[in-house]
Amino acid sequence: MVLTLILGLFDQFFSPYFLGVPLLAIAIAAPWVLFPKPSNRVINGRSLVAQNSFVLNFAKQILLPLNVGAHKWALLLTVLMVNLITLNLLGLLPYTFTPTTQLPLNMGFAIPLWLATVVIGLRNQPTIALGHLLPEGTPAPLIPVLIIIETISLFVRPFALGVRLTANLAAGHLLIQLLSSATLFLIDQMWPVAILTGLVMALLTLLELAVAAIQAYVFVLLLSLYLQENT
Amino acid sequence: MLSRVIAVSASGLKSTAPLGAGLIQASRSLHTSSPSLAPVPPLPEAGKVRHGIVPEEFFQLLYPKTGATGPYMLGTGLSVWLLSKELYVINHETVAALTVGTVFVLAVKKFGPSFASAMDKMEEEKAAWIEDVKDQAMACYVDAIEEEKKEQWRVEGRSMLFDAKRNNVSMLLETNYRERLHHANHEVKRRLDYQLALQHLKVRMEKEHMVNWVEKNVVGSITAQQEKESIAKCISDLNVLAKNIQAKATA
Repeated sequence: MVLTLILGLFDQFFSPYFLGVPLLAIAIAAPWVLFPKPSNRVINGRSLVAQNSFVLNFAKQILLPLNVGAHKWALLLTVLMVNLITLNLLGLLPYTFTPTTQLPLNMGFAIPLWLATVVIGLRNQPTIALGHLLPEGTPAPLIPVLIIIETISLFVRPFALGVRLTANLAAGHLLIQLLSSATLFLIDQMWPVAILTGLVMALLTLLELAVAAIQAYVFVLLLSLYLQENT
Repeated sequence: MLSRVIAVSASGLKSTAPLGAGLIQASRSLHTSSPSLAPVPPLPEAGKVRHGIVPEEFFQLLYPKTGATGPYMLGTGLSVWLLSKELYVINHETVAALTVGTVFVLAVKKFGPSFASAMDKMEEEKAAWIEDVKDQAMACYVDAIEEEKKEQWRVEGRSMLFDAKRNNVSMLLETNYRERLHHANHEVKRRLDYQLALQHLKVRMEKEHMVNWVEKNVVGSITAQQEKESIAKCISDLNVLAKNIQAKATA
């Protein structure tokens, strides 16, 4: 507690250690602790009702455009969503480590899931999966170019997924840090400006809350779209 | 709030994955009362907290020694000590913490009651739906009982119905029998009439034939001499008769 409180700008992105003990596993498993398990009761308390309604409504929404064969992915997508949104929101608390700001973690989510959708598509319906490489209604001269472009787009997808999440969250955290450093500095120098900066901080916090939820949702939504293409 | 979460989740950890499967069976020996249909006890009251985070039990813990202001003094003194000894350094995260804390507190104050009432409404709707199912089932059963009683009343009248049906059937049989009898009679009479008419015809034809034969023979047996004599006699008879009548007329 003593020395780590003298913070640099990028300290929040370092993997957390305490007296030499790595805490990364605890940081990543943090959401598991926060959600109570479903009870045997029919009528539950408010937190459990909120949790249940969120999970069930989200699962229903995400599975609407998918055909029945893809419903096997229901649990995976819902758990991914809950995990990501909790990790993101917990990262907004002070002195926390947000695992989703680390590119390896997000790539670890994105690459296997994206690859699974591609392999499922190529295995079950190879013609249709390859057909996605050429959008409908392209003029004949553009076809070769477009196929190359679509293939590149296909292979960029996992990187896009991972980097999108990482960049959004890391940038948000950095902004919070910069603005709060600025506020702290300005309290000495010109405190009315510090109040202004503080207001901007408040607005930024609201934005970050939204971004945390939306980025998680976008991640899962895009995966469900890739799945929909391939099943 | 979070302090209570740790306690609850610790108890939740006990019944998770590898233990969970056998725990239900294994813990059956710990059940002291038999599983009953008694209504489930209502949800326990949420633990009391002061200022949204600190449990009431903490204040009760310190009350005997330090009175009502004890925990507040503890909090103030602790934070001032941390700050003065630079055990807690004020850095940019402090500002971030203050901002996030303010936003969070304002959000809970603003949206808390409506969120809570929405959750409560969802559960109430669920309970009302279940009650409705139960009420509808009971109404169905009451209707079924009424229908059953009506059916029992109907059964009492069944014997009269069967008698009427039996009468009906026997009347039909009787009618049919009589019709066939009449028909048989009619046919027999027709045949007998035919035979009768045949015999009458035979007798009449024999009579006519005999009369014709007699006439023919009689007419054939009259010779010319006889015919002349009979005609002369007739003329003389007629002359005599004419004379008589003239005489009667002139007399």
